[in-house]
Amino acid sequence: MTTQNIAEAVRFCSVKTDKFKTCRVNVSMAMPLDKNVSSRAILPFMFQRRCAKYPDFTSFSRVLDELYGASVSAGVLKRGEAQILSFGLTAIDDRFALDGDKVALECMELLLNMIFEPITDGESFPADIIEQEKRLLTEVIMNEQNDKRRYAMLKCEEAMFADEAYGINRFGTVEDVNALTPESVYAAWRDVLERSTVQITMVSSMSPEPVAQLIESKFSNIDRHPVEIETQFITGLPKPEYVTESMPLKQGKLVMGFRTGMRNEDDMMPAMRVAVDIFGGGTYSKLFSVVREKMSLCYYCSAGLFNSKGVVMVQSGIEDANEEKAKNEIVNQLSLTANGEFTDTDFASSIKSLTDTILSSSDTPEEICSWYASQILRDKMKSPEEFVDEIRKVDRDDVVRAAKTIMLDTVFMLKSNGEAEE
Amino acid sequence: MNIKEIKNELINERYFDIDHPSGLKILVMPKENYSSSYAIFATKYGSIDTMIQMKDGSFKEIPEGTAHFLEHKLFESEDLDAFERFAKTGASANAYTSFDRTGYLFSCSANFKKNLEILLDFVQNPYFTQATVEKEQGIIGQEIDMYKDAPDWEVMFNCLRTMYHNLPVRVDIAGTQESIAKISAETLYGCYDNFYNLHNMVLAVAGNVSVDEVIEAADKMLKPVDGKMAQRKVIEEPKEVIDSYVEEKLSVATPQFMFGFKESWDTPERTAKEEVTMEILLDMLSGPSSELYRRLFDEKLINNSFGFEYFTGFGYSCVLFAGESTDPRRVADEIVEEIRSFRKNGFDAAAFERTKKKLYGRMIMGMNDVDGIANNMVVSYFAGEDIFTDFEIYKTVTLDDIAELFEKTLDERYSVLSVIKPN
Repeated sequence: MTTQNIAEAVRFCSVKTDKFKTCRVNVSMAMPLDKNVSSRAILPFMFQRRCAKYPDFTSFSRVLDELYGASVSAGVLKRGEAQILSFGLTAIDDRFALDGDKVALECMELLLNMIFEPITDGESFPADIIEQEKRLLTEVIMNEQNDKRRYAMLKCEEAMFADEAYGINRFGTVEDVNALTPESVYAAWRDVLERSTVQITMVSSMSPEPVAQLIESKFSNIDRHPVEIETQFITGLPKPEYVTESMPLKQGKLVMGFRTGMRNEDDMMPAMRVAVDIFGGGTYSKLFSVVREKMSLCYYCSAGLFNSKGVVMVQSGIEDANEEKAKNEIVNQLSLTANGEFTDTDFASSIKSLTDTILSSSDTPEEICSWYASQILRDKMKSPEEFVDEIRKVDRDDVVRAAKTIMLDTVFMLKSNGEAEE
Repeated sequence: MNIKEIKNELINERYFDIDHPSGLKILVMPKENYSSSYAIFATKYGSIDTMIQMKDGSFKEIPEGTAHFLEHKLFESEDLDAFERFAKTGASANAYTSFDRTGYLFSCSANFKKNLEILLDFVQNPYFTQATVEKEQGIIGQEIDMYKDAPDWEVMFNCLRTMYHNLPVRVDIAGTQESIAKISAETLYGCYDNFYNLHNMVLAVAGNVSVDEVIEAADKMLKPVDGKMAQRKVIEEPKEVIDSYVEEKLSVATPQFMFGFKESWDTPERTAKEEVTMEILLDMLSGPSSELYRRLFDEKLINNSFGFEYFTGFGYSCVLFAGESTDPRRVADEIVEEIRSFRKNGFDAAAFERTKKKLYGRMIMGMNDVDGIANNMVVSYFAGEDIFTDFEIYKTVTLDDIAELFEKTLDERYSVLSVIKPN
């Protein structure tokens, strides 16, 4: 892996390998999570379908077909208190193109054109495109409730982080989207080009130089003045809150949000990663082996660490009537973890499983790409091997110390209102 | 032992097809430079197998959801269960049940041979008791309820239940609360004996492995059996659908739909050529580059979730269009209108070439990941093909093939519109 700085806060990271049959690229652009999230969230989806050179969606799509089915993807992520606009590209490696076509570099140029040369209308975007994209983004936001597990998670975050930027939905609200105008979205685009932190990650057999030049040319006439992105880490004893909502459902969804003592994303890492894994990670974890396997309360019950905010979220799908039983057991299993009541086998299993999974990630271009792309806000990037070395150095005492700082903050329960159809 | 090398020059890949003396087919694709490996041990037994063939040749019915239930329970054993054994090696183990197969799998970046031994061992050694079966009914009961709240799952099964009178593809993979209550340890042993014999199974491995180490583990762990491939019963199914429309209310924001066209064929399974031809046809008709897709988008009738699938398996095949729309009926009408227009005007040659190029690229992209490759080997083997078959077919498909297939499919008289409405 090599990195180079192209412009201020613009980093290009290249993993050159001929192991894969594809060229995979990710472009990530980070901005603070704030009241303007919607004006930026619309951009990746809008750019995914057109650019100045191929202004209509159908012709754009046909160009991708001709490039051997290259695919471009768009997404918006939340990482700590940053909103990240994410663009992905997968194209076949030039070795497999018929007639010696140079596919990968052409696709890379197309990807950059989408972002840097969209179809504009003066200091604005065409009104009909904005109207269409507003409708689509509104549907994306509204349809987040279709996946009940995800919906419950969002509602828990909304309650738990009501007074922090982290509580802001990465797409914003339907009202925010309604208020967007062609001019406000255009301004947001310029703002992202000038002030976001950018990382371009490429996994390909291509040499990085021509791609670096391409990226450099795109940034050459942009006046860069990147904004500082900081995430608030809240430590100290939380006062647990309980929030509930009901709708016609067959199965209730329980989400429990915990604060940890982490003061920044590296604090107590990777001991915290191991502690959360023993508590609610793999099949050897306490939540899987007790709440699911022993008590038969659920199909899934797991804990996830979000180290970019220093919080742990536990999720489970249960019958409403078992809510108290499940909550008490989850809290009980956490305190057992914090008291060091896990076997040496549990501990060894966790270390082995975490390291095995991380090392396996080097075999898919998507995972290599997201491994590095997710480090967009770090000054120095860590390779999977470096992180694995750190995990192997963790001992039982480190785990106990980390687990002791995990405190319950907010419980959200999505209940059935008894009106689900049979 | 018969070992055959199967090659594809175009993408510079090869794998080995091994007839192990135990009766098991073993497929291995070594990938140089890879650090991980993936193995899947699968049986040709899925949710559509709701009948067991008895010794006298007759068929006996088994409860819906048994294949999936068995999959959950096979991880258990008298002493250490399979998850506990894999925990010691660090592998990630899992299993799945689909309509026509059940697979047990692991991926790892260390201890491959040990992991393969565990996999071969636990799948060959069932241990079911009444107590453990009852415990699992609670867990699977929650899994069933979870899917009842999932609109994309419900919209599909409502469609299949309304399309098929008799075929078991209409049955939920996990069964129902009532059907799983009928499952006993005895049911599981009966199904295990019928479907889990090595002649009905396949082992597929891809990644940082050698053929020798796979064979060594197989020699050590596999117990030769006098089995045979389990027979599937051909079930009679009328050409007609039960109803042309079905709806359900769930907590969704925008209605979800699935619009399906039932097909009737003289043979129970579709050939690789038919599948590939259909894929090209559907992409030309309704893929992102089509006129239809654009019209539906411009008229605010679909969003990014719109897509299609040629859904096939033993005894069934149908074309499914799905997505979210404020007006599913109009989407269905537009699709039918477009089919009519294609019948009248035929397919465009330029679009045909473009689509072939796209799908060729997509096939190449599918050859990166060890899990994708291994699963593809399983599916191809059960279908009687190898994983490179499709590459060859793409070269030979013509517009006439498309036109010929088009005659036999997408008949609106046999269509079902399934809708999930907000409640």
